[in-house]
Amino acid sequence: MTLSSCLLLSGALFLIGIFGALTRRNVIGILMGIELMFNAANLNLAAFNHFLHPGGVAGQCLALFIIAIAAAEVVVGLALVLAINRNADTVYVEEFNLLKG
Amino acid sequence: MAESLIFYSLAALVLLSALAVVTMRNTVHSALFLGLSLAGLAGIFAELSADFLFAAQILVYVGGIAVLFIFVVMLLGRASDLHLRQINAQWPAALLVCAVAAAGLWRAARSFIAPAATRAPAPTTERLGRLLMGGYAVPFELVSLLLTAALLGAVFFSRLEKNP
Repeated sequence: MTLSSCLLLSGALFLIGIFGALTRRNVIGILMGIELMFNAANLNLAAFNHFLHPGGVAGQCLALFIIAIAAAEVVVGLALVLAINRNADTVYVEEFNLLKG
Repeated sequence: MAESLIFYSLAALVLLSALAVVTMRNTVHSALFLGLSLAGLAGIFAELSADFLFAAQILVYVGGIAVLFIFVVMLLGRASDLHLRQINAQWPAALLVCAVAAAGLWRAARSFIAPAATRAPAPTTERLGRLLMGGYAVPFELVSLLLTAALLGAVFFSRLEKNP
């Protein structure tokens, strides 16, 4: 296990997350892709902390903040999805046109 | 040797289940594979000697976020969704975006080719707690404020209106 293998893994995870967020029609699938991207960033932070700054914990601290903020983001996002679904009765993003005048 | 074997099997688990998350037609399966991918990533955190991050990943992501996704999918899902296309028509453009991003990431990551770890893994929870209560106390309190705001926002948006 080297730093470059960790970076390759997190890069691949980030690309899969981007692909999911760009191509899913279902808004819940888009949120899942965003979660995958957050996790790739966390893996990067933990890997840099372990390999380049072995005595410190600042990278892990930042990753903890990212975990907390991702939890808040997904809670608000899913509540918004529930509210939109109650009004528009769909979960597909191309049918979300409530704001179109 | 055993360490790299564990790392590569966990990496394969994470990547294959992430691919299943973005390609599965059934959203319930996507949410279950999301939990599997996040759990595999927690194992990689443990191997990177980030023990508190491992526990937080299991508690928050696998135990909280993945379960929340499964709840919302089951609340909103319909049987007719299983016969609909779940990938939009712009997937070649998305592949192009991914290729460009891969080239950029490769250029950025090429300068970190192979530094190995120089120190044996040690528990980090105590130092993390001291850092959170010392130098990072203000961001820590701001995160608690943010979590309260998110809680109130979720309750506000998801309640049922009595008289519309």
